[in-house]
Amino acid sequence: MAKNKPTQAKSVLGLEIGSANTRGFLFDVVENSYRMIASSSAPSTQMQPLFDIGEAVYEVVTRLQEVTGRVLLEKSGELILPAQPNGDGVDQFFVTTSCAPALKVVAAGLLSDVSLESAKKLAYAAYTNLVESIWINDRRPFNQKMDAVLAARPDLIILAGGTDDGASRSVTRTADLITGVLGFLPRGIRPQVLYCGNQALSSQLREAFGRYTSVRTAPNIRPSLEEEVLDPALGELNAMIMEKVLDQIGGLRRISPLCTIPPQLTNQAFHQIIKFLGRQYDPQKGVLGVDVGATYSMAAYANDRVSILNTFNLGLGSGVEELLLKSDIREISRWLAFSITDAQVSDYLWNRSLYPLSVASTIEESALERAAMRQVLRLMMAELEIREALPSSRFEPILLSGSLISRVVDPVQSLFVALDGMQPLGISPLILDKHGILPLLGAIANKNPLLAIQLLESTAFTNLATAISITSKARIGSTLLRARLDYPDGNYFEAEVKQGSILSLPLPSGMSGILRLQPTRRVEIEDFALNREPIKVVGGVCGVVLDARGRPIVLPEDPGKRTDLIKEWEFLLGAA
Amino acid sequence: MYAQLTHINPLTLIHRNRLLPVPGSVNVREGQKVNPADIVAEASIPARHYLVDVARTLATSTPAAAEKMITRKPGEMLQKNDIIAETGGLFSRVIRTPGEGRMISVNKGRILIEAESTKISLQAGLAGKVSQVIPDRGATIQCYGALIQGVWGNARLGCGPLAADSESLSGELKSSKLGVTARGTVLAGGTCSKEFLAAAASEEIGGLILGSISSSHISAALEQPYAIIVLCGFGDFGMDELSRKLLSTHIGHDVSINAVKWNRLTGDRPEVYIPLAEEANACEDQVVYSSGQTVRLHTGSYAGRVGRIESLLPGFTLLPSGLRAAAARVVFGENSREIIPLANLDVILASD
Repeated sequence: MAKNKPTQAKSVLGLEIGSANTRGFLFDVVENSYRMIASSSAPSTQMQPLFDIGEAVYEVVTRLQEVTGRVLLEKSGELILPAQPNGDGVDQFFVTTSCAPALKVVAAGLLSDVSLESAKKLAYAAYTNLVESIWINDRRPFNQKMDAVLAARPDLIILAGGTDDGASRSVTRTADLITGVLGFLPRGIRPQVLYCGNQALSSQLREAFGRYTSVRTAPNIRPSLEEEVLDPALGELNAMIMEKVLDQIGGLRRISPLCTIPPQLTNQAFHQIIKFLGRQYDPQKGVLGVDVGATYSMAAYANDRVSILNTFNLGLGSGVEELLLKSDIREISRWLAFSITDAQVSDYLWNRSLYPLSVASTIEESALERAAMRQVLRLMMAELEIREALPSSRFEPILLSGSLISRVVDPVQSLFVALDGMQPLGISPLILDKHGILPLLGAIANKNPLLAIQLLESTAFTNLATAISITSKARIGSTLLRARLDYPDGNYFEAEVKQGSILSLPLPSGMSGILRLQPTRRVEIEDFALNREPIKVVGGVCGVVLDARGRPIVLPEDPGKRTDLIKEWEFLLGAA
Repeated sequence: MYAQLTHINPLTLIHRNRLLPVPGSVNVREGQKVNPADIVAEASIPARHYLVDVARTLATSTPAAAEKMITRKPGEMLQKNDIIAETGGLFSRVIRTPGEGRMISVNKGRILIEAESTKISLQAGLAGKVSQVIPDRGATIQCYGALIQGVWGNARLGCGPLAADSESLSGELKSSKLGVTARGTVLAGGTCSKEFLAAAASEEIGGLILGSISSSHISAALEQPYAIIVLCGFGDFGMDELSRKLLSTHIGHDVSINAVKWNRLTGDRPEVYIPLAEEANACEDQVVYSSGQTVRLHTGSYAGRVGRIESLLPGFTLLPSGLRAAAARVVFGENSREIIPLANLDVILASD
């Protein structure tokens, strides 16, 4: 590797190493602004037969070289870092990865609705699978709680509880149980421990657990009853997961020293960029980012004060198994506007779990995957509601990301996936991360915030639409309101909105317009007073979408009517 | 680009590690011949406990006082109703064990007893010779024979003589194939019904090899006490012609099934082994896609079909779905040709 002193970073190479595909992005300054110059993708190779990420990384970077004509690799195959005066190489190199096997976690706390709740939130935010919870008022006897933890065979125990300088005896009692579990288990399968409770006990418990296993401590996640501070503990938790990833994913430790900052977990980086955006937009609404991947999906919410990340073991690669176990297959097949049996849908998706790299080659397979994506989003939104994870029901904007959503060719279909899956309320601008670079930008923003900002404003992101959800109890087909969209040049567009329909008012991406809605009967738009005041809206490739299909969207039971209705909706928005 | 591989190999050298998840004892030695059902290693994992609160039950003033009344020591084996603590004196009050187990510890006047542990017995899984002992963890078993890799298994091991015929291999296994003669045998067929799965259990078959199975039968398959391996995938398309041909040449031979769940990160994969007397070299496990390779499709309407790569298409090909992907022109039979994304192909390796 060349070792010249770097000047100001211009060229940046980013890699997202996913469980199914490895994607590479080359960024550089063009006309005084960072732009994405090229992207490439190759099947990930951390699995059988190579068990090392190196081959996929090499292929991705080689393709970037071919596309751009720039030399990024030495003849020996090493990355040229930093960039040379002749333009070879790159100045910065970032890696994010979601190749993280989900850790089985036991959450332990004192009060179920205080410290345990916060410990669970930590688990939900990371690449984990919460398998058991114990708390002080849990009525099971000590030995049953112990047996439950042993039966769960956790990889990690999160112990929280006690405000700082607060309860310590109860925390010690729970710690005794954990120490007992650690003592019983053979060395090879003892879980690690993350302690994030009363700080007065930190060093004592670190020593007690440290006799058996590796321990990390973090600042108290509930320093007082009213206060919740998750970020430092989440950072420790992610560090523990990353250590495991570095051990288990061949080649990642090898490229780590080349990275400008250590490789980051994709969900952690995604959370960072949503937090960053949350500070830029309307704090009353907050930003919601959703990402559907092969193994994991995630949802991050942020405004100027709070940020929440939730990671789900749902996806369309190996995550499809969890999706199918949690879904009735009809919840997926009902979105298909062609003749196919539920058994065929189920078989296709189960085969997809066996072959996560497989590609939808026909129009029908593509539609089937979009139907499954809708269900992933639906399950995510339902779970977020159960977890009471979202402080608002309106978002501005909703960002759609992930390797799978970015594979949807037609933006109208991407919009339908989001609207049908998430069923947002109120007025929601929807933005598509068409290359799936949001997590990478989150990692890059640590060292190069200018790149992140300029890319977020670039054509790497597509304004899909501003979607307005209109609800009413009127009969299907009844006229709900008249809409008039005024353009900056003085022209206007008028339409009538009927119950059960969806329509688009043309407004090019980035252009603002004034929307006037004149209800003809009682209608509601969540968190919006329909007092006939005009609404300033921003256009997208699908314009301004008035969605009067109701919440929740109810599809006809009759397959023929259902197919006709879906086709009609697609036609109305101009789907390909 | 490295290919996804599946071995349907008539003769090869097979090495398989059989390892405990936790340290335990290894029961075999290097060079020892083993049968599929032989236990090569064992370990135990704690599972259920009793906690006896002596201080509370005997109402002692302090935990330390309670501990003085405990009559047994950590590590001792206890039978049900053994006395573990007593106050002493003329009217002594006693505490007896709630069940049998091993005394683990005494802490703050409380006794912890391990009531039972889960025993892990690791079977050899295939007939062969122990080529290496891995201390405290298990062994590597080696054999020569036919190897057929599958895609799904119900997490069980099975073995027995192979019972199949051309009718069942190319179609659905019918209940008529079951009966007294099926007991202990490994049955093979294109596919089967849920009812067949249950009926096969009552006949105590040794295992089941299927080309494909409906995904609606997954939960039923997981409940069966015998090993089930699926070779091609989910659906009703049956068994590919290469697996069919290979299995049909070994009817009556002893076969073993390792119906482990496919884990691409560790490389564990469900497999069928048919030990043979002839020797051979180990097969390749890394190949790149190239013309002339035999391939099997695993996705969509062509799932389970076997063809040959006629040519690799340059760059990325626009698919009917609108996606672009690396693809190949695949020939099926004499004249039928299709453009298939490489990601939807398995290269089939056979050494003959």
